[in-house]
Order: sequence, then C-alpha cells, then structure tokens
Amino acid sequence: MGEMWKGNHAIAEAAVRAGCRLYAGYPITPSTEIMEYLSARLPEVGGSFIQAESELAGINMIIGGAACGYRSLTASSGPGISLKQEGMSVLADEELSAVVINVVRYGNGLGTLYSAQCDYHRETKGGGNGDYRVIVLCPSSIQEAIEHVFLAYDLAEKYRMVAMIMTEGALGQMMEPIEMPDFIEKKRMPWALDGHYSYKKIGIFDRNSMKEAIDLNQKYNTIKENEQRWESDNLDKADYVFVSYGLPGESTKGAVEQLRDEGYQVGFIRPITAWPYPEKAFNLINPNVKGIITVESNATGQMVDDAALSIKKTKRDKNVPTYCLPYVYGIPAIKEIKKDFMKILSGEIKEVY
Amino acid sequence: MKEIVFSGFGGQGVLTSGLIVSDIAASKDLKVTWMPSYGSAMRGGTANCTVKYGESKIYNPSLEEPDLLLAMNNPSFKAFINRVKPGGVVLINSELVTCKTDDREDVHIISIPCNQIANNLDHPKGANIVMTGAIVKLMNDFDKNEAISAMTKMFAKKGKNRFQEKNQLAFEAGFNFV
Repeated sequence: MGEMWKGNHAIAEAAVRAGCRLYAGYPITPSTEIMEYLSARLPEVGGSFIQAESELAGINMIIGGAACGYRSLTASSGPGISLKQEGMSVLADEELSAVVINVVRYGNGLGTLYSAQCDYHRETKGGGNGDYRVIVLCPSSIQEAIEHVFLAYDLAEKYRMVAMIMTEGALGQMMEPIEMPDFIEKKRMPWALDGHYSYKKIGIFDRNSMKEAIDLNQKYNTIKENEQRWESDNLDKADYVFVSYGLPGESTKGAVEQLRDEGYQVGFIRPITAWPYPEKAFNLINPNVKGIITVESNATGQMVDDAALSIKKTKRDKNVPTYCLPYVYGIPAIKEIKKDFMKILSGEIKEVY
Repeated sequence: MKEIVFSGFGGQGVLTSGLIVSDIAASKDLKVTWMPSYGSAMRGGTANCTVKYGESKIYNPSLEEPDLLLAMNNPSFKAFINRVKPGGVVLINSELVTCKTDDREDVHIISIPCNQIANNLDHPKGANIVMTGAIVKLMNDFDKNEAISAMTKMFAKKGKNRFQEKNQLAFEAGFNFV
C-alpha cells in the first residue's frame, strides 16, 4: 500500500534520495514546504540547507554547489523564480547542472496563491537574458513528480544545463498515496572545481561567441531530437486532439475518455517535457484532423503557440485550426472542458491560429 | 469514485478529518486524492479540503460535485451547498450551522450536535472525529474497525497517539449517531 504524501514533501524527499546535498532558497507559498522539509532532512544525510537572504542569493549559492560538482536544488514560485533568472542564465552560460523547481502560482507581479500554468512562456523560452534553454518537466501526479526529480538531475548532468520541474500549486499542496524510490549514491561530478580550471574559461572579452553558438545549437538540437516526452492516446483516429499538461492535462484525459464514450472521435497529447516540446507526438495525428485544442490554466493561452507551430510543422500542407481553452487558474472540471468542446463544435469558440 | 468536501473554520479539524478518510481509503489500496484549500488564511477563517477515492483513476482531484458535504459552520454551508450532487448528503454541525438549510429539496440534510457529543466524552477537540465517524457510516464504503485502525495508525505516525482511546470513542459516537 502506498503512503499518503504531500506533493511538496514528496519532491523534497525524492531530491534527497536522488543525491541532492545542497538546497538554498527563500520561502514563498505554495512552494515553502519543499524547503521546510529539507531544512531538517538534508543535515541528516550530511547535506547543507541554507535559507538565503533572497532568491537571488539562493540561486547564486546553487551556482557554487553546481561548480563544486554536487547535486543542488532551489525551489520557488512565480515571482521568486523571476528573481532567479539571472542565476539561471549564468548556469546556462557556465554549462553547470542544477535543478530548479517552480511550484507555479497564478498572476502577474506578486500575483496570487492560486494554482496555475501561467509561467509556461517564461520557463520554456529561457526566462533570463541571452539565448539559452532550460529542460522543463511538467508532472501531472505526485508519483510522476518524484520520478521527474531523478530524471531532472540525470538530464541536467547529461547536457550540463538547468533542468526545471514546472509543477503547480495544487500538486504541491495535495496528497496521494505514493511509492518512494530507493536512495542512489552520487559521486562528485568529474568536472567539479578542484583548484584549477577543469573546463573552458569564460570571460567577456576572450570568448569566441560564433563557435559557442554552433556548439549551443548542436546541444539544443540533440536534446530536441532525443528528449521529447509525452503521453498520448487515439491520435491516429481523432477528429480533434486535446493538448494539455500537468493537472489540467489529467482533467483533459478524463474529458477525452467521457467524450469517446459518448461517440466523439477525440484524442489527447499530454506533454511531459514542455521544453523540448513534444513535436514528434504531432506526427502521429490523423492527417484529416479537424482541430487541435489546448487546455491551459492561464488567462491568455500560452502553450497554444507551441501546439500551433507543431501542427504546422508536421502537417505542412494543411491549415489545421488550433483552439485554446484558457481557464485562468485552478484545475478545469471535466464537465467544463466538455461544455467548451461543444462550443468549439458549434463555432461559438473560434480558433486562435 | 466518491467525492467529499470537508469545510469549516480554521481550527475545527476539517483538514484532519479529510486526512483520516483519505488514509482509510489508502489502507484499502484505493486510489485517493486529498486537496486542501491553502494560502493566506487566519485563525477563524475558512478551511476546506476535497477528498476523492475509488477503484478507478481520479482525473481531477479538485472540487467538482461532492457526494457528501461536511459543513461545520454557516459560511461553509453557504459556500458549498449548491455544489452538492443531487441526491447527495449534507452533514451539518447543528450547533453552528444556524442558517436556513432547506432550500434544496434534492439533498439529504443530517444534523449532528458534534460539539456536545465531543464534550460529553470529555474530548472537546474531538468534534471533527465525531463527524468523521458519521461520514464513514454514511458513505458505507468501509468497515468500522478497519476505519478506526487506519485512523489510529495515522495519528500514531504524527506522534499523536495519546488521544487514541478518546478518538475511538468519538469516532464510534458519530458512527452510531447516524
């Protein structure tokens, strides 16, 4: 029997078991339980926990932990992650691996405490200055979030970059029965600081940005080729394909199941990596599909852009309409999604692209 | 799949009551989710959680259409009464839900003086446990002794097993009341 765990606590314990030995960050609802848990737990395994004086200080400590070759973690929500962007851009530039968790909450500025998916654009497009990417994993259950902690570290180290887990306020606060994986032993990274330069020297004036650009594109193209992850069903037969991630993604799956029982030919894609975006899933879609529908927990519709680009890329000869159902915050109810699907069929809701 | 909303003001133990029912369901290897209201709140403010359990996958852990509403005070009754599934059950704390409760004819209202029952057991903080016992009986999904055993384990895990005897009495009082 699985034991009931709160999402944030489960993520924190998973980080310890995945070998994380440094946490530095600043509290913010709805992510705080991650650091609260680690404040007691990391010292038990010989790790370090630091409540930093600010988010900016926290992410800079993570740069230090990563440079020393240890699995390091910081977590925050919405505006707190905004403050960390400078450090995340530095981690990208130095090619250091770290895991950052965003327990997404709704709103601009300080925003609100509601669970949401409003940070999609920032996380998937590289939110700081420059020209970089972050691997973005978006779990839809606590068990999957636990798996993503291990996966995030593996991917971050394989490609020497930041991997983010983009979870949601509700997923952090809710509980469900889970199985916790065993501990793994992690050695210090072979490229860690050891008193002399063990990796390329990076300065402002003495770098070859033209060559770096080629390497960077090569790295990102390899990731796009090899690391797209998604869950999907009935794509080859579907007239309409829903695309949704995280907790709204699960609600969408529920709506798809009911609609299919009622005789509608619908399918779904649940992106597991938001970057790289699972374009390959769109290859599997019925060539005569009538529409793509994203279900999102934000106000303006954000992922709809990537869904539209992906269907354009994979069905170049067709002009497949892409619709968006943005529910602002929370988890859309299955019956709301079904009701809005009827509005798409009747023409009341128009396509975005 | 069953859906229950536990609501009241902060301090009445509605989140704990939801946790007990979740743990009972988890002990039976059912799928379970417990989703609390969270965020800025104060003592005496509102608190609630939604619990779903069943054999099949739970697609949405948040509030949709509860089979049972536990309302421990007037604001929570008013907030959720219109969400209850037709034919559903509304369990009210009769000492604190004093507003008009008969607007909906398609739900069953059950009143329990849970504070008084808990006080009579010399366990004034056990009103939520009384209600938990009543909920387990009304849902008719779990055996009484298995439920008590799961509750006892949950409190033991939290290091709060010193109230075990009184909690069991409170649970049974609620179970037997309905």
